[in-house]
Amino acid sequence: MSSPIMKASGLEVHQATDVTDSQITLEADVVVVGSGAGGAVAAYELARQGKRVIILEAGPYVPSKAFTEDFTDSLQTLYQDHGGQANSSGDLLVLQGACVGGSTVVNGCVCFRTPDFILQDWQRDFGLSELTEAELGPYFDEVERNLSVHDNGEHEIARHGQVIREGARKLGWSTKPLRRNIRQCGLTGHCLSGCKTERKQSMLVTYLPWAQAYGAEIYADTRVEKVLTEGGRASGVEAVVTGQDGIVVASLTVRAPRVVLAAGAVQTPVLLLKSGLANRSGQVGKNFACHPSLLVAARYPQPIYPWRGALLGVHIDEFMHPDKGGFILEDGGFGIVEMTMLAEPGTGEPFMEYMANARDLAGLVTLIHDHNVGTISWDGERKQIDYQLSEADFPSMKRAIKAAARLHLASGATEVYVPASDRRIIRSEDDIDDQVDSLENAPQHLRMVSYHPQGTCRMGADPLQSVVKANGETHDVAGLYVADASLLPTSIIVNPQITVYALATRIARQMA
Amino acid sequence: MNSQSQARQIQRVWQQGLARRQFLKWGLGSVATVAAVAAGGFALLRRSPRDAVSRPGWAADLSDDEFHLFDRAREVLLPVAGTALVDSAAIPVVQNIQRTLNYLDPVTRKELGAGLGLLDNIAVFTHGCRFVDLELPEARQMLDRWGEGGVLQRTLATVLKQLVYSAYWQDPQTWQPVEFDGPVSDKWGLSYLGNAPLPGPLEVSAQETTV
Repeated sequence: MSSPIMKASGLEVHQATDVTDSQITLEADVVVVGSGAGGAVAAYELARQGKRVIILEAGPYVPSKAFTEDFTDSLQTLYQDHGGQANSSGDLLVLQGACVGGSTVVNGCVCFRTPDFILQDWQRDFGLSELTEAELGPYFDEVERNLSVHDNGEHEIARHGQVIREGARKLGWSTKPLRRNIRQCGLTGHCLSGCKTERKQSMLVTYLPWAQAYGAEIYADTRVEKVLTEGGRASGVEAVVTGQDGIVVASLTVRAPRVVLAAGAVQTPVLLLKSGLANRSGQVGKNFACHPSLLVAARYPQPIYPWRGALLGVHIDEFMHPDKGGFILEDGGFGIVEMTMLAEPGTGEPFMEYMANARDLAGLVTLIHDHNVGTISWDGERKQIDYQLSEADFPSMKRAIKAAARLHLASGATEVYVPASDRRIIRSEDDIDDQVDSLENAPQHLRMVSYHPQGTCRMGADPLQSVVKANGETHDVAGLYVADASLLPTSIIVNPQITVYALATRIARQMA
Repeated sequence: MNSQSQARQIQRVWQQGLARRQFLKWGLGSVATVAAVAAGGFALLRRSPRDAVSRPGWAADLSDDEFHLFDRAREVLLPVAGTALVDSAAIPVVQNIQRTLNYLDPVTRKELGAGLGLLDNIAVFTHGCRFVDLELPEARQMLDRWGEGGVLQRTLATVLKQLVYSAYWQDPQTWQPVEFDGPVSDKWGLSYLGNAPLPGPLEVSAQETTV
């Protein structure tokens, strides 16, 4: 094989605007559905081993240089359903990237390895005896090295992180710098709108150009509608190519003996359900978890400028283990539009007064170890995400809110805003129990967001209780693999990108 | 009327014969039917002086009622007197809302329209006129109470607020008074790093590490 040649910047992507034939048929050794964390890594690993790889991405190709650093615009151009993907009761936004590079383009760069106590759960409850810390450790090492993962340096801890760290020190809570996949962070605070200057080590500037260097082909604007099989084995996919105006310009078929689904924990089960495949267990689309998170904002007596500096700086891991609470807190920056979604200080003048003092706010993101109680379904026309915070998880959520409030107060905040539909403001320790204990676990009461959907095609040893094996291949269909966060048998508390990268690497190497 | 009794009244009037589950969803299609029947019965009460005013030409993707609701909500939700904030009349709030709604799939768009129509009309029962004709303090109190109310009330109040708030604050004209920096990479002259170099030869061998 000749030496790989890689573009210095950007990608060569087949797009709807390039299409000249209404029927396209391609052949490959492997077709990968989705270009995010799982798809890009699998594609690179397989292309590097000499396989002919085709990557199909439903979303558009937006080069980094076209990113606008405008959150509203980014929601509409880079996110699933233009930023409107939500559960069926509308109180949980499920934000996923829907562009070449997937959610890795719009995430906050936070990197955690799968906690060992989670792996132990998987070994014990799902028969995944081979997924030990010792087995996965070398994969974590490798993807972290490839993606420049490092502890935030002091310059990467913005003002909001500094005040939170000081408050945690006063409380005696364990606090650590977050680890992030970024080179020479520009400290713009615009991670969620994509990294314009190519510093975030998303798939857009790493595994996708690397896969292309080894011959992989990328097709954007191409939504896979069906997985094909012959004789019980995967044989390819059928897709449609749709322009930005919503008009279908071509149908596309890829013939390939191996199909890797990596469209994310919402779209991957939808595709399997539409295809009527790999569901002997009845678990496809079930067991949806998502780390429902809240951004608890607070006002400080001095300017914080929450939009300045690195978006995420430190985290509090004091309560990570389920025996100690089962949640983590991450200090989180935000922009002006995001601020409008955080708090309900009162309609009219109180809200505008809150916004007028935007520069004095800091935020804490809560992540909980939620149970896998949700379902992704397909009614023939539309997908549906049914997820309500379970009664078992509601106490964890309240504990996380209380801890965030305590931490803000210890950090010097004068007002903490509970992110609910009604006006709840905490001004002292004495207010915390009153304001939080009276919250209801009911639709549209808390303002939740999820960046981490997972669990909808879970791994396991038992084909009657799980969808895929530990090597990523479905129990039911030979040659059909899943390599995204759908795999995760339980929620993992922490940001899942490193887990997905490591599992996708392992799956691709075992496949080869 | 307090929020609890208001919630009970609304539930009595509007939820008769409807499964509670339907109200837990954005899917408010059934509400459209009820609203249409009720609107007929209360046609006189629900008349508004605004009905005589057609929406502007640029608002072709909104109904007249939707245009008036969003424009009144702009006035209700975005007061700036006594602050350095920009008057919402100078910001294309309703245009921005229309653009957001155009991204919705047709089914959700229709259901959302029905729900917001319900919010506008329900005030007839409690205040004797539609939401668009409430005085500003009354309208704000109504939305505050709805934030404390039942699922349907919370949903509609939240949706209306989020649409209006994001439509206002997404406009760069609103940023300077709060010192929001907006896009900075080009302003700061940050260089582009390009694609990361290909990884080196070190790697994990599946054969060596798999148990």
